[in-house]
Amino acid sequence: MVDHLTLMVLDALLIAVFFSFLWKREKRERMMYFWKVFGALVLGAIVLGWLMYPFPRS
Amino acid sequence: MPERRDGGAAAFPLPVLMVLAWLVPGLGHMLVGRRSRAVVFFVVVVIAFLLGITLDGELILPHAGDPLSYLAAIASVGNGVLFFVAHAVGLGQGVVTSPAYEFGNTFLLTAGMMNMLLVLDVHDIGTGKKDW
Repeated sequence: MVDHLTLMVLDALLIAVFFSFLWKREKRERMMYFWKVFGALVLGAIVLGWLMYPFPRS
Repeated sequence: MPERRDGGAAAFPLPVLMVLAWLVPGLGHMLVGRRSRAVVFFVVVVIAFLLGITLDGELILPHAGDPLSYLAAIASVGNGVLFFVAHAVGLGQGVVTSPAYEFGNTFLLTAGMMNMLLVLDVHDIGTGKKDW
């Protein structure tokens, strides 16, 4: 339950569902928007993590 | 297919609708006839909130000298009745030594901010800016 990637994916999933229902009206639009938001959150976090990798903590 | 609506927007004055929307996630949408969306919003916000509590997250209150805690407190209180019930039964104290503490906080703050967006959405529906 404390696996960070799993929790991040779960958070992205909830947010993507929320915004697709908040901002899109049609089912097809919602599906497209869901995958866009979900992909952007998950891939964005992974990319950002790799970009920060060379920088030391302190 | 567009969602079927049963009207009901005039059942309560807009400020009352917004307060109800804040107190219970999805209730505002339910009262203006957006039932299927109301159910989805309720489920999403409650799951996020319960995950936050389960993951030892903290329902953050303002701390003197910590300006960011004021913003976090707004997001925490944004959870509405979930916030008050959790506080009343002693949940959401936060366990800073827990490996999931930060994730718990993230879920709790996310849930609160999503609920506040629902209040704004109910406002837009109530004023006619959004017709679905």
